[in-house]
Formats: sequence, C-alpha cells, structure tokens
Amino acid sequence: MNNILGYEEDAITMIDAHDINLGPNGILFVNVALLAMIGWALWRAEKSITTQSEMITLFLLGIFAISGRILLDPIPNIQPVTVIVLLAGIHFGAARSIILATSIALISNLYLGHGLWTIYQALGWSLIGVFGAMISSKIYSNNKLSVNPLMAVAAVSGFVFDWIVSISALHVLSPDIFFLYILNGIPFDLLHATGNMFFVAWFAVPLSEIMTRHIAFKQPSVVDNFAKTRV
Amino acid sequence: MNPLISYLIIFTLISLFIYTTVNKENLAKAIGTFSLVFLIISFSSMSTDYYRWTSEFIDEVDNPHYGLPDLWDDKQAVCFHFPAGYAPSGLDDGRHHFDFDGTDFKTDKDWNSTGACVGGFEDFDNGLELFNAAVGATGSTFSYNSTQFSFGLQIDSIAGVLPCEAYTCAADFSSGAYWELLHNGAYSMVGISDLILDPDSVITWQIASY
Repeated sequence: MNNILGYEEDAITMIDAHDINLGPNGILFVNVALLAMIGWALWRAEKSITTQSEMITLFLLGIFAISGRILLDPIPNIQPVTVIVLLAGIHFGAARSIILATSIALISNLYLGHGLWTIYQALGWSLIGVFGAMISSKIYSNNKLSVNPLMAVAAVSGFVFDWIVSISALHVLSPDIFFLYILNGIPFDLLHATGNMFFVAWFAVPLSEIMTRHIAFKQPSVVDNFAKTRV
Repeated sequence: MNPLISYLIIFTLISLFIYTTVNKENLAKAIGTFSLVFLIISFSSMSTDYYRWTSEFIDEVDNPHYGLPDLWDDKQAVCFHFPAGYAPSGLDDGRHHFDFDGTDFKTDKDWNSTGACVGGFEDFDNGLELFNAAVGATGSTFSYNSTQFSFGLQIDSIAGVLPCEAYTCAADFSSGAYWELLHNGAYSMVGISDLILDPDSVITWQIASY
C-alpha cells in the first residue's frame, strides 16, 4: 500500500533518535541534563533583571520548580518544589508562596496527571509556604540563611506534605485503613524528606540570594500618606 | 536483629565519618548528598525489609487475599497447614510467613492452624512450578515425596508428614487421609501439575480425612 508521498509504507524505515531506547537510567540522565540547562539559563536570565520584581522572580522559580518536578519524575518523590515553596514563603511571604505553590501544582499536574489530588498538593505546598513565612525571622536573619535549621524544616515538610496529600485517599479508602496507608508510604516520605535535605544543602543559599535581590521594598505607608496630604 | 537496624548503623557510621572529616562549610552538602545516594541505592532492599517488618503489626480487617500479609497482595503464595503436633520444628506456634527469598518475617499466632506460607512469587502459570519454587525457597523444610500416576502427581508426604500418621487410616481404605490441594480457598478439581494459576493464586496444602 502506497502512502500519500507515493512510497510503499513498509519500505520506509525511520532511522532516527526515536529508535533509541535509553532505558530508565538513560532517560533520568537526559532529564537531569535538561534540568541543569534550564537551571543555568534561568540563573543567567535572573542576573539581567535589574528591577526589584518579585513576580518575575516567582515566575522564574516556578519554571524551575515545574521543570524539576516533571524531569525528576523517574525518581519517586524527589523534586525541588517543596524547598522552593518553603524558600518563597521565607522571602516573599505567605500570599506569594501560595500563588507559587498552587501554580506549580496545577501546571505540573497538567503533564503528570490532574485530578482531585491536585487540590491536596496545592494545599500541602501552600501550607509549607505559609509555615516558611511564619518562621522567616528565625531562618533568615542578618541577611543570612541558616542552612541547618532549614534542612530540618525541609525534611519535616516532606513528611507533612505527603500526609496532607494522603488525606485524598480518604475519598476511596475507609478511615480504618488510613493508618495502614500512611504506614505503607513512609519509605517514600523518607525519600521526599531526604531529597529536600539535598536541595537545601546545594541550592538554598543561591536561591535565597536570588530571592533577596528581588524583594520589593514596601512603600512606607505613613510617609506616603503624609506626602499626599502635603500635596 | 532487624535488618533495618543494620541500615541505620551503616548510615550513622558513615555520617559520623563525614562529620569528622568534612569541613563545616561543606558539611551540609556532604551529608545531604550522602543521605540521598544512600537512600536511593538501598531503597529497594530497605523498603522490602520495612514492609516485612510492618506486616507483623498489621492485621487487615476483612482478611483480603486469604489472610496473607499485604506485602503479598497481587502475588502468589503456597501455604502448608499441618494438624496440631505435626508441624515441622519451629513452625508449631501459628502460621509463619516466608518471603520468596526464604526470610521468615511474620508469625500469625491467631491463625487456626500451624505451619507456614511461602509467598511473594510472581508470574508462575503452573501449580507444580510454583509449588517447587516455594519448597526450594525454604531449603528442605517442606520437601515432599510424590507418586506419578497416569492421571497426575499425587503428593504422599510434605515435610516428612504422611497423612496416615496424623489420622487413622483403615487397611481396607474405608477411611483414610490425604494431602488435599486448595486453590484460592476452594478444593482444586485438578492436580497440582495441571493447575493453571492466577496472578494472585494461593495454593494451600492441608491434610483431609474421609
């Protein structure tokens, strides 16, 4: 049978990169390389931003977090989102971290699979961002990030996030076996916690420096009002 | 010793080594990297040991999969139930559970018979092949004697236990006992060598009398 180009279909053999089976380790290698390229490009792009625009920084962080979550999908439960949201909470406050957390959950799930669980993931990451905002003064003081306490918070956040998302299982499981469900997930919670520690150890300080550079200084409202009154 | 403790000891010792040798500036990076690499490398075996350990504490409410540990859900298993007093040495305090590699990881002392189940197998299509795999996984504990008949294989003894040792058998065969084969809890209509398995089949051997 001839195709639209007039060639016999069986006679055409596509020889290209699609025929190469990389296997899971090969795919992971490609994904990590892609993530490194995205991370490097975003880092370079951030340096050219001169304005103190939190939103642009949040947008760049969001791209990195979404890429990281999708590209590191072959390793279960290891992704940079939790740490990025936590740092966003510490530097930009609760509201902006909720925007970031919800956007990351929604957009990455459009690729990974969107459903009822997305709202639990958004809720889990948002709460971590809010908690980051609450402990901001303890983790970041005198223009310095305390890495060791942040590692501990990030590790605990891994468990907390997973347990919040696990609540979604109650839609299909009876509460009687919910504890069993949580118990079965602990090795994967441990992966999340350890991954978070790794990301904090390597990326928290540079990410914190980027975020600090773009924190928008708030207008002092009293002076502002005074100036308007004067005018 | 619980295998999880050995992982913990190894992790602690290497972490201490890193703590004493790496300078303070790079300590977080070193510990973070080591923790992640250690967990990824050991995850498969460590999670198996974890699920074996936790199955000891889990008693599923409605006993799905014939009361076997949830670790074996969707997997195949062979159970050997012995009359009281006839279970092999060390297996007379309930129903033991051996994983596919021969690890005895759980004892169900509330089970109403003594013996053991050997499980965690996958992709067996034939009953005899699964039976042999289960016997092989536990050394010689459940070695069996059989007689090949034209209609199939008859199991004469398992773990050295002859049915007529446990029950009274009449010389004229008016009463007797035999190793009965159950497949998924129901009496099997075919012998072990002709039994076609499901992905989560449970074969049970127990002595029945007539």
